[in-house]
Amino acid sequence: MKPLHGTLLALAVAGQAAAADKAVKETNDYYQRPLEQLLRVETQAKAAVGSRGGARDALDAEVPIDIITAAQLQSTGQTELLRALAVLVPGFNAPRPSITDGTDHAPPFTLRGLNPDQVLVLVNGKRLHQSSLLHNNGTVGRGSSGVDLNTIPLRAIERVEVLRDGAAAQYGSDAIAGIINVILKGYGQHSQATVTYGRTGEGDGITRQATLFHSLPLAGDGFVNLSAEWRDRGATNRAGPDAGDGGRINAQFGDADTQDGLFALNAELPRGDATLYLHGLYNQRRSSAGAFYRTAGDARNIAAIYPDGFLPRIEPKILDFSATAGVRGVLDDGARWDLSYTHGHNDYHFYVNNSLNTSLGLATPTSFDSGATRYTQQILNADFSKKIGLHTVAGGYEFRQERYRIVKGDPASYMLGAADNFAYGAQGFPGFSPDNEVSASRRAHSLYGDLKYAISDHLMLDAAARAEHYSDFGSALNGKLALRYRATDDLLFRSSVSTGFRAPSLSQSHFSYTGTYRNSNDAAAQFWGNFAVDHPVARALGATDLKPEKSRHFTLGMVFQPSSQLTASADVFVTEIRDRILPTGYISAYSLSSLSPQAAAVLAQNNIDGAVYFTNAIATRTRGLDLRLDYCQELDNGARLKLVGAYQRSRTRITDVNQAPDVLGVNMTDLILDPFTKVLIEGSQPADAIKLWSKYSQGIYDAVLNLNRFGKFYSVSAYDRVSFAAKWTVDGEIAVRLKKDVTLALGGVNLLDVKPDKWGRTDDSLVGAGKVIQYSQYAPFGYNGAYYYVRVGVDF
Amino acid sequence: MRIAWWGLALLLCLQFPAAQAGDEERKLEAVFIGRFASYIEWPAKPRDRFVITLLDDNPFGSLLDDLYRDKRIHNKPIELRYATRLDQVGETDALFITLSSSAARAAAIDHAQRNGILTISEAKGFAESGGIIQLDFVEQKARIKINHAAALKSGLRIGAPLLSIATVLRGDKL
Repeated sequence: MKPLHGTLLALAVAGQAAAADKAVKETNDYYQRPLEQLLRVETQAKAAVGSRGGARDALDAEVPIDIITAAQLQSTGQTELLRALAVLVPGFNAPRPSITDGTDHAPPFTLRGLNPDQVLVLVNGKRLHQSSLLHNNGTVGRGSSGVDLNTIPLRAIERVEVLRDGAAAQYGSDAIAGIINVILKGYGQHSQATVTYGRTGEGDGITRQATLFHSLPLAGDGFVNLSAEWRDRGATNRAGPDAGDGGRINAQFGDADTQDGLFALNAELPRGDATLYLHGLYNQRRSSAGAFYRTAGDARNIAAIYPDGFLPRIEPKILDFSATAGVRGVLDDGARWDLSYTHGHNDYHFYVNNSLNTSLGLATPTSFDSGATRYTQQILNADFSKKIGLHTVAGGYEFRQERYRIVKGDPASYMLGAADNFAYGAQGFPGFSPDNEVSASRRAHSLYGDLKYAISDHLMLDAAARAEHYSDFGSALNGKLALRYRATDDLLFRSSVSTGFRAPSLSQSHFSYTGTYRNSNDAAAQFWGNFAVDHPVARALGATDLKPEKSRHFTLGMVFQPSSQLTASADVFVTEIRDRILPTGYISAYSLSSLSPQAAAVLAQNNIDGAVYFTNAIATRTRGLDLRLDYCQELDNGARLKLVGAYQRSRTRITDVNQAPDVLGVNMTDLILDPFTKVLIEGSQPADAIKLWSKYSQGIYDAVLNLNRFGKFYSVSAYDRVSFAAKWTVDGEIAVRLKKDVTLALGGVNLLDVKPDKWGRTDDSLVGAGKVIQYSQYAPFGYNGAYYYVRVGVDF
Repeated sequence: MRIAWWGLALLLCLQFPAAQAGDEERKLEAVFIGRFASYIEWPAKPRDRFVITLLDDNPFGSLLDDLYRDKRIHNKPIELRYATRLDQVGETDALFITLSSSAARAAAIDHAQRNGILTISEAKGFAESGGIIQLDFVEQKARIKINHAAALKSGLRIGAPLLSIATVLRGDKL
């Protein structure tokens, strides 16, 4: 035997023996402790997402999963789930868009630098519907619809599982960048009420929040958990002076003024081997944000109505609800089954106030109903799983029906009157016109299977496949192979390859938003704007039915757990997506110099100035690295120290560009990939992120310190890429239990009042140093600066 | 030849069974079984060993054997038995039940009550349906639920230290 080989064998045997010794030693250590102390031991969090074989901890997970606990969410000081996850999850990006129409009021989020619609969100493992809002301005996530996470009350959440891998072969469309599974508080919870008050260092953004979580135990360890929350978040404003208005600050660039009423229900009623379950979310939101200011002399103003000019206010009312009812059980042979129905709905209704329709002259109203977008999703699902020895077989069927609607606004919100040839509709946000109204639906059937096969005690193979048929674009078949090798009790190696897809959203296929103007008083009205892909004009300009985005994924990683206190993991990943769906650039004779005469004729014949539609346009490759470290230590003085460190790096590059429709006579790069869009896809999101969360608990005190590094990002000014430096922020909280059941917390977010780099000098009239907009929309931690809060919680 | 050696090393890694379940919850459960027993008084039995039986799946691997190899409960050495069916459960002092069917669990509980056996399970509703100790994990911490009436019916006396840290069901939930 060669020395190397002998060493190898010895190491293999020794590794096993050492791991076994360690586990026995730890268990023996537990055996010596008092019972009370054993009840204080905090075990590792487990996640169910990504596996149909039950929850597992980090050392058993075949794919990287972050688990965010309720305590962590609360310790961020944030009152919204979106903001709390942005603090805690590396690679979760949630900028604070402003002056971006509807997006101000339901901001997007992304994972791993991809799009909002490339993340699947589940609640208790059931798909949560997306918002009907299509992000249509120059924000991160432009051209997509995402889930509105702020419809979920923070205090209703037990944990959030973030799966960082493609999983469309298991869960279907959208699970490309990952999955966020929100688990609502369930069995064994105590009731709690909290009130929170906070404000920014500059005195605005006043936030008031009151929450009530009540848990009602039922027979057989069933429960009914009710959460109610009222949240009032005041506006912030970091707008600069408007040189065109005497240097005064006339705009609002910051957070919208938003009031939310939220309600959540989670209930389980066990009956023998079956459990009836029901969970639901309800959210009503009123929100208000400004558009750009119209100065007194602006052609869009009527001085008789607004002598000093006016700031149109976009003030949507948003209704969002979902409910899942189901029954799950176990058969005598141990097989588990689950039948459920889920209904989700989002109604995003635009109202515009403090505005006018210039073209109506003095007869104009100043408040408008600009119409609505609505989305409804219904899902029937049947799952089963069975463990056979060390193996698990699972499968199921799902039927999904979606409907997307655009509802017209009142006539004054969209019409072009006789008093002006250009300034049509409600200033700030012209309404949807009757031409834009649509009611589109589709159905999807899915069959899926999952096999977890234990090749040995140490080597597990997970194979999954899912076949889907959509009534609009056809079929999709995806698969996943994951290998998990438990080298020792301390060490896990894991790898997965999979394919995935994202069905084009109904909003991308059917969104239509057009406006009108006249070249002269005698001329016929000209149209411009977004056309649905099945609109005759879009068809004549080369639009086709959208195909699904298709993806391929590869991950390779390891988990090392040298003790029960310390877990470290490292994973590399590659995600390739082709046929990504983007809106075209503005198709007009003057913006595309090489536009074909045929296309120009289509525009002219239909009295269209220019058109935009969605198309499958590009392919991208995203590469990245995730590192994570969890450490928990019980100290001799009875204190507990918890540390979570995470680093995430991802980089997206455009690898291919589809062919543009022949009829346009232009190439796809000219049609879509202007510098703005290229930077939006490749550079608008931080290339890396560091999260260092720590909590020290002793007696009645908890102290939390949170360090964040938001990596460098890019934006565009006048066709030039502009870089914005990486920044560190520090959050902290001190909580003290005043009585057994009363807790007072004082804290600050971004305590050092760090702000992103400002724009430099630009030629733009509104964006740039010393101008109205001084910060990039893409700034990953916003531009509010420091925020301080106090929170009182009562357990009962 | 080199490939063969690497293959052998890999094979060793594959074939060596996992010595322990690494799961912290499992470790605590394994510990709790014996620790619970040490706070419980049984009617005098002529056995010279304290017998713990697992009924149905064994989620612990070899953890219980390794943990209890050199331990004593009520001054007796511990014997671990593994049964897949109720009729395989012989004389035992404690029965850890992992049966997934509520009817099967009820039968096991009935058997245990008639034979003065401590029953422990992590199944929801276990204590309410007549089991003696239910072990739950809520927000990553263990919780103990004890059906005191069921213990008394089985002829077992539970010590105050254990009752003081548990949620105790009283009344007639047997």
